[in-house]
Amino acid sequence: MDCADCLERLYSYLDRELSPAELTNVRAHLDDCGGCEDTFVLEERFLARVRDCCQEDVAPSDLRTRIVARLRMESDTPQ
Amino acid sequence: MAADPFETEALSFLDALYRTALRMTRSEAEAEDLVQETYIRAFRFREQFTPGTNLKAWLFRILTNTFINQYRRKAARPETTELDDVEESILYRHMRDVSPGSSSPDPEAELIDNTLSSEVKEALEALPEKFRTTLLLDVEGFSYKEIADMLDIPIGTVMSRLHRGRKFMQKRLYDLARDRGIAAARSMPRPAD
Repeated sequence: MDCADCLERLYSYLDRELSPAELTNVRAHLDDCGGCEDTFVLEERFLARVRDCCQEDVAPSDLRTRIVARLRMESDTPQ
Repeated sequence: MAADPFETEALSFLDALYRTALRMTRSEAEAEDLVQETYIRAFRFREQFTPGTNLKAWLFRILTNTFINQYRRKAARPETTELDDVEESILYRHMRDVSPGSSSPDPEAELIDNTLSSEVKEALEALPEKFRTTLLLDVEGFSYKEIADMLDIPIGTVMSRLHRGRKFMQKRLYDLARDRGIAAARSMPRPAD
């Protein structure tokens, strides 16, 4: 596997979507190639940052109450 | 009234559905409406859910479909749906330009870590709707296959949207960081950190 092949699989690797055989090949290349490894590490950091930022928002506390009330109303209404 | 297990489990995904709706609609009020609508539909069609299968994926499918239908109907004039290709290496190889005075051994990593949460959200919300939706489902941990099923698109399309969407975000974050760096430089003198 050369660098181009490896970088082509970057996101599939980070998203854990590679087949076991491809995973082995990518890992073998990363062990030998510091340049590709650096890129993978940075991209992984970027994805983690995006995930963390997105997951910090929580639903307003009264939304749950309103939804539950609405669902009770629905279930009380004959279909 | 005894707790309904379906309701209890469905409501355990409230925060996840809300934060996704918030980024999809870019509006707190619309996100609340969208999540409420999602739960109402989920309860109306709960017979269609197979117990033991992935309830989170099922709820997100309803959320996504409701959003896409309402959104596309509402958008009087279609927004840009395509993304220009971004040069592959644009983000990280240029990071040193952003913080040339940095003594950090790893300025690229430092820049990612220092990216403001508001900037990340802004970059996500700047994506065209179909790219944004795909990235948001990925952030919630769904597999390519699950995302493809939810959006009714091929897996290859999921992969290309994720790839291009991420590159677009990186470019935007790079631009924001650069502007922030320039703004900081202009506000000299400032006390040393």
